[in-house]
Amino acid sequence: MKLGAFETNRKELEKQFEQINWIVQDGVDETALITAYEKLLQDMAGKPKALIKAKTFELILTKAPIAIDKKDIFQDKLLGAKIMQKQRADWEKEVQDTYLQEEYKEQSEAWNEFGAYQGISDFGHTSPNSRLLLYVGITGIIERVEKAASREKLTDNQRVFYESCRIVWSAMQVFIVRLADAIEPYNLKNSRALRNIAAGAPGNIYEAMQLLIVYFFLHEYIAGTRVRTLGRLDVLLYPFYKEDIKSGTFTHEEVKEMLRYFLHKFWTAKVDYDLPFALGGIDADGNEVTNDMSYLIVETYNELNIHSPKIHIRVSDKTPKDFQKMVLRCIRGGNSSFVFVNDDIGIKTLMRVGIEEKDARDYVPIGCYEPAVWGVEVGCTGNGGVNLTKAVELVVTNGIDLRTGKSVGIETGKIESYEAFVEAVKKQISYMTERAMDYIRKIEGYYKEINPDPILSSMYDHSVEEGVDVYEGGAKYNNSSLYFYSIASLVDSMAAVKRLVFDGKMLSFEELCQIIKNNWKDQEKLRLIARKLPEKYGNNNELADELAKDISEFIAELNLNHPNGRGGVFKPALFSIDFCFFAGKRTMATPDGRLAGEPLSKNLCASTAMDRNGITALINSVTKMDHSKFPTGSVLDIVLHPSAVSGEDGLEAFYGIIRTYFNRGGFAMHGNVFDASTLKKAQENPEQYTNLQVRVCGWNAYFVNLSKEEQDAFIAQAENAV
Amino acid sequence: MIKARIVDIKRMAIHDGDGIRTTVFFKGCSLKCVWCHNPESIGFKTQLSYIKKKCIGCGECVKVCESGAHIIENGNHVFHREKCTGCGKCEEVCLGEALKLYGKEMAVSELMPILLEDKDFYENSGGGVTLSGGECLMQADFCTELLKELKNNQIHTAVDTCGFVSREAIDKVMPYTDIFLYDVKAFDETVHIKCTGQSNKIILENLRYIDRCGKKIEIRIPYVPDYNSVEIEEIARFLSGLKNVTKVKVLPYHNYAGSKYEALGMENTLPEKIPDKEVIDKVEKLMRVVGL
Repeated sequence: MKLGAFETNRKELEKQFEQINWIVQDGVDETALITAYEKLLQDMAGKPKALIKAKTFELILTKAPIAIDKKDIFQDKLLGAKIMQKQRADWEKEVQDTYLQEEYKEQSEAWNEFGAYQGISDFGHTSPNSRLLLYVGITGIIERVEKAASREKLTDNQRVFYESCRIVWSAMQVFIVRLADAIEPYNLKNSRALRNIAAGAPGNIYEAMQLLIVYFFLHEYIAGTRVRTLGRLDVLLYPFYKEDIKSGTFTHEEVKEMLRYFLHKFWTAKVDYDLPFALGGIDADGNEVTNDMSYLIVETYNELNIHSPKIHIRVSDKTPKDFQKMVLRCIRGGNSSFVFVNDDIGIKTLMRVGIEEKDARDYVPIGCYEPAVWGVEVGCTGNGGVNLTKAVELVVTNGIDLRTGKSVGIETGKIESYEAFVEAVKKQISYMTERAMDYIRKIEGYYKEINPDPILSSMYDHSVEEGVDVYEGGAKYNNSSLYFYSIASLVDSMAAVKRLVFDGKMLSFEELCQIIKNNWKDQEKLRLIARKLPEKYGNNNELADELAKDISEFIAELNLNHPNGRGGVFKPALFSIDFCFFAGKRTMATPDGRLAGEPLSKNLCASTAMDRNGITALINSVTKMDHSKFPTGSVLDIVLHPSAVSGEDGLEAFYGIIRTYFNRGGFAMHGNVFDASTLKKAQENPEQYTNLQVRVCGWNAYFVNLSKEEQDAFIAQAENAV
Repeated sequence: MIKARIVDIKRMAIHDGDGIRTTVFFKGCSLKCVWCHNPESIGFKTQLSYIKKKCIGCGECVKVCESGAHIIENGNHVFHREKCTGCGKCEEVCLGEALKLYGKEMAVSELMPILLEDKDFYENSGGGVTLSGGECLMQADFCTELLKELKNNQIHTAVDTCGFVSREAIDKVMPYTDIFLYDVKAFDETVHIKCTGQSNKIILENLRYIDRCGKKIEIRIPYVPDYNSVEIEEIARFLSGLKNVTKVKVLPYHNYAGSKYEALGMENTLPEKIPDKEVIDKVEKLMRVVGL
């Protein structure tokens, strides 16, 4: 390993996904590939989808051109066109058109037009067993498939399943050897590593990283389903690291140099929503996993100054404090692509849906912050969601979307008392939730026809043993999810109705309805009174917090542990990601003083700038809800002013905030450290702040690339920061 | 039941002693430092702050004001400070949040629930509650009661003082105080008078006394160019003779507080010049050299 080469080549490596340095080798051109694919479809007409899919994958991996990059120490490029993404989309459309036409139309209208609710299929939010991949290798995976296939009395389905598994992994071997041949004249070591991982389990950390890369890019970009976590990277790599250092195969510095190439690759690939992996936390036996690799990964990552991949830090009561503080230092330095996740709640919440403790302990956060068991559970943590605040609009309009005048909810009738109002809001939430869940269950019944996944399935022990695809319910745990958005906006609106109408008797409910239908027109004074009310979520206010608790319990009753369509259950989530903007645009004015179209509250945060008593009061409010009832996760974003976390004292305080949040039962937290004036300057002079990154929701973005509206929301939050 | 005039309660304070703290700012100070960045805490009487640019002219304050301090003239809100009795009714109804009352009377029993809310934050960060001001020890009996109650709840306590207070006041709070945050502004008496309006004799004596009693002390030195900047070496020499100083913090002067003076209708005494970062680094280095 030539040390320092990464830095020399970094500029060119930045463009590694732009074809500039590629040396394209053999393979047929795109037109020929598509023709071959069309022929394959004809030849295999009527055959099981799993088999067609496996054969398509094989076709691309064996026939499409590959490319190598001399500057890189890892190879992965396959110019396969987007055939399989299209294949899946076609198959989904076929199912929708044939069986679910009306239902699909309803869901897409309910979301895209009304911003109310949406149930969708989800094939991306999974946690493949990357450990199996590294420890037994491709050959090991094939052997396990062969072994399971060799037993007597297989059904046709099982035979098809095993056959398709064999095809995809064998195709990967062929592809890897093609890469090895191509790179051999330029980089013999890389070539040898590739040959080794085609023929057996990785023998050292370099081969382990190369295999992870090949697997990831094939699954994400060729097979067409997202890989929303690489798993626990320190757990994965540490055994190799330990052995290689001991045997003298590589030095610590050489491993660090490899890590630079490895991490940087995901950054330059611009993986959608950033690729996550996890560090720290306890293992299946309850032992803390933080090891030398955890530190080395954070150190290297921070030095690279990149924000993808994103890193989830699992924190148990045994996670070393100095490791956590190392991460906090990175956040303070401007790298906000870390999320702290609480093991206690992560484990407890998964056990609520019947997951065994030893399995639950080995969870990884998928995508943004959604816990699911690594390589054992197919979590499907992105099945859509419900805009809670929309329920207020639907009570006001008696079930009509105000913007379009179309019917969306149910009729909840005339409201005579506060209790009746709360009841009506709940009825609307219940209706929207049921509609979304109903669709998810229905579409799940057709997963086999849309996205059989032999690659993923072969990485799940249970699926291989049973000979059943993971999307047919083959995993040990086969769960689904639903996000519930904007709890703070809902709670503030309900509290305002109570205070202004039923307690304060300032106006009748009908009058308030009229005013908010008119978007507070000519009622600025009343609107400011509504905004000034102390009963706002996020201030440790009893009325608001009790409401939040009540609503969150109600959501859990509606969704948690209810059966899905794949033999598993629903796992609710209490976060919004960036849907607070999308849904906000489609939600009329609300009784809390929010104007029509303005963003709704984000994740577990208070409504914009309504947390007037600082972070400690906000945390007091947020943790009154039982986060363990939301097994698809929940997250609180905090914004701290740089002065609040400066020096060793500031770091200790930062640590104290997270510790307290976790002790109080919070699940996930991410922090941004910046001041409002910097953000304002960046808004005015974007060209001078191209590097300023903020954490949008579950991923990072450059501040200057956000919409004006999103930027304003960040500025408002920062102005409110301690 | 005794009450104190409270300017503000700041939660999640991290510059008023170790860890995450809640700081209670008392109203009224025994000094009047030219650079004071909390002018709302100088006077002992209740004061209404009025930020003109936040006023939306809704006129709600006019309706509730019994002394005629708020009036609408030619469609604009005008505040007659001299008529204000400090009742605070206008703050409650102010829709633009332009009005804020400093100096609400509060009893220990009213403060404690607020201070207890963040108890686990204190525990997880090595923090606690800080009494500050103004000069909190000008209301020493109240402080003693409050500190006693905090100690009954096992909360770490800090008293932030300028030191220009009676020995009696210090003796009262001492048993319930874990650490004193003690301001040292100048060593030379003439300089001190110029900066604060008072001699520093009592201040330095009190500091020596607290040190002799074996209490922990964190020293805080506001560094104001052209005012006390010449004093730093003398201060350092003096401090190096104390035994129980756990930390010395140099607080670089900033002039952000100008708008507060305006909102309170007070004469702005803030110096213009702010210190360079290099100078502050040098001062901090000096403190380390003398073993602080």
